[in-house]
Amino acid sequence: MTLEALNYATAWPEIFLLCMACVVLMVDVFIAEKNRNVSYLLAQLSLLGTFALVMVGQTDERVLSFNDMFVQDPMSDVLKQFILGITFAVFVYSRDYLKDRNIFKGEYYVLGLFAVSGMMLMVSANNLLMLYLGLELLSLCLYTMVAFHRDNGNASEAAMKYFVLGAIASGMLLYGMSILYGLSGSLVLSDIAHEVANAGDNKIGMVFALVFILVALAFKLGAVPFHMWVPDVYQGSPTAVTVFIGTAPKLAGFAMIMRLLVEGMGALQTDWQQMLIILAVLSMAIGNIIAISQSNIKRMLAYSTISHVGFILLGILAGTAAGYSSAMFYTISYAIMSLGGFGIIMLMARSGFEADQLDDFRGLNQRSPWFAFLMMILMLSMAGVPPTVGFWAKLAVLSAVVEIDMTWLAVVAVFFSIIGIFYYLRIIKLMYFDDAVDETPLSCGRDMQITLSTNGLLILGLGLYPAGLMSLCLSVFN
Amino acid sequence: MLENYLPVLIFMAVGLIVGFVLLTMGGFMLAPHKPDEAKNSPFECGFEAFEDSRMKFDVRYYLVAILFIIFDLEIAFLVPWAIVLEDIGLFGVLSMGIFLGVLVIGFIYEWKKGALEWE
Amino acid sequence: MTFIDLNFYFFSALLLAAALGVIASKNPVHSALWLVLSFFSCAALWLLLEAEFLGIVLVLVYVGAVMVLFLFVVMMLDINIEEMRKGFVRYLPIGALVALILAAQMIWVVGPIGPDILDDESLKQAVRHGADYSNTKELGRVLYTEYVLPFEIASIILLVAIVAAISLTLRRRKNTKYQTPSKQIQVKRDDRLRIVKMDAEAKE
Repeated sequence: MTLEALNYATAWPEIFLLCMACVVLMVDVFIAEKNRNVSYLLAQLSLLGTFALVMVGQTDERVLSFNDMFVQDPMSDVLKQFILGITFAVFVYSRDYLKDRNIFKGEYYVLGLFAVSGMMLMVSANNLLMLYLGLELLSLCLYTMVAFHRDNGNASEAAMKYFVLGAIASGMLLYGMSILYGLSGSLVLSDIAHEVANAGDNKIGMVFALVFILVALAFKLGAVPFHMWVPDVYQGSPTAVTVFIGTAPKLAGFAMIMRLLVEGMGALQTDWQQMLIILAVLSMAIGNIIAISQSNIKRMLAYSTISHVGFILLGILAGTAAGYSSAMFYTISYAIMSLGGFGIIMLMARSGFEADQLDDFRGLNQRSPWFAFLMMILMLSMAGVPPTVGFWAKLAVLSAVVEIDMTWLAVVAVFFSIIGIFYYLRIIKLMYFDDAVDETPLSCGRDMQITLSTNGLLILGLGLYPAGLMSLCLSVFN
Repeated sequence: MLENYLPVLIFMAVGLIVGFVLLTMGGFMLAPHKPDEAKNSPFECGFEAFEDSRMKFDVRYYLVAILFIIFDLEIAFLVPWAIVLEDIGLFGVLSMGIFLGVLVIGFIYEWKKGALEWE
Repeated sequence: MTFIDLNFYFFSALLLAAALGVIASKNPVHSALWLVLSFFSCAALWLLLEAEFLGIVLVLVYVGAVMVLFLFVVMMLDINIEEMRKGFVRYLPIGALVALILAAQMIWVVGPIGPDILDDESLKQAVRHGADYSNTKELGRVLYTEYVLPFEIASIILLVAIVAAISLTLRRRKNTKYQTPSKQIQVKRDDRLRIVKMDAEAKE
């Protein structure tokens, strides 16, 4: 074995990011408390550097490295870029929030960077082992970040629930993977795909493995009926962590589904399609209906996440290139929307005040017309109203489903989206037609204003010109 | 390969048998066994027991234990490496070097944070 | 049934009994000890599969270290058993139903009743190795070369575990009194001693 044989150059972004995370960790313990900003800046620089490396190394082909452990393909490149970009914005949004609560620590950024590298490894995994390790790296960081605010009872409770349920899901995943390995004799996804296609009598065993793997995936993504942790974790964790959990990991989760179900077990498509239909319909129904009765906006957005996950699964279950690219488009645009939504919540929060009740949004227009406008765009986009990207995302998924002659599924999806519009519009009503209770002016740094505005306008811009992102997603699967 | 472990199996079997036989003989068959309420209750110098005999541990024990486990695992990785070092050559040294390097970073971190100090 | 099969059935029965003990015993410390027994029987099963290194590591790491940690945790928590058993009867029917369905499906797929997946020719019987075979060596040959990437990621995960454990449990204690020898020896007389000049008081 030689270094050259590893073909390690394809993994430069990951290697760089991991090294930088270690550097941030080391710098952080040696600097004084008042220079904590250095850790923050270094973390942002590492993300930018990694982003540049991903851009430079982009490829149109499928390149395997590290003895078929690691794969670089157009899908991984695109997803990595979005993961890095979104995490950059998350770090910008969360800085003031963390400072106000005395949890502005280097560990937040170190764990964030490690989580990002976990996601990148998941996105580029070509081996069951790598998928699992990437997922564990991500989950371990997230469990810790949820409990980061140690003196907050809700955060500890959320972390506990997240950890226990996440561990069960990991156990399920490992069980499924071990059955799959036992039956196929390989951990490499392409070999597994070959074995699954020629399974013969063993097919029932493969489906058995598939069930466990799918349950684990549903757990991790938060699809009904494996969604119990989502509302509690979203509500309980500090908003700076909620925004992270609710955005970038969704992209990694999408990649994981693609790698496991489509690349690894594509031959079992008819089997996982049925299971995904159940998950998708239940997620859209439960998510949208229960979100209506929430008074806490973080909890409401958690249920909204569940319903959006249903839509993502809808695109994947179509099983066509159009379906996969629409699901990818949906995941990316949902991550950007949810980023903006939690960004606004963090903008309104200040020391000792969380701004997580719906009533806190009353009269936002009087306090800051610009941010109320941005929030309106975000809510309209989540609801799927035309001039925004959310509309195109829903349209793409629905047309992919209609194309495979499952019109009834599309009708169900539209029905529940219409129910969902209610609670998004309620926020707009609160912002524009109610009087402000709290007159404190909104204050935040210039960097946050710019990023948040870009974030909101991106939703509008992508809604007006969706072709670019759409063709990017399509090119990935052709 | 399994025949190498036959002595271990026999050892375990003998251990089990000896343990069981002695315990049952000494504890239940030969010794007088007349429990009553007073004998079974915890004895605390004639008082009623004040509290549960299990008390809360300081969380610092837990931290030390978890740090120990991490480095214990690291050592576990060293064993197969040491056995095959001749076969895997420089590449193996390099990969273990990186592995240990990462954990040294962790070690520096916990040292500087004061996690190894018992205040 | 060979001698190895006999061992397998003995240890797997032990494993099941011990696992049942973990969830059924009232005292959490007893649960932890049952868990130790189940780890032991697991290690024996792995040995039967010729995974000697993994079996021994299971005993060393899990029984030796993780269970000690578990016992710490169990002792740290002031567990009120009554409180924990409250919802038990209420959730028993649905829990039992799910468990039954799961078990039935598993038996159908793997067991003797349903499709016979284990009879397939493609699932070759594992090869038994001779006395000079070392599983540890085989593991070492691939772990540090072919599987180098997962190996390094494992070290990163351990690093994250260090960071997580410290950032979640380490608290600086106020008011602790401890000595710093370097500061002690650098003390000068003037830091501790102040000579105050006072006029002598006149005697009345």
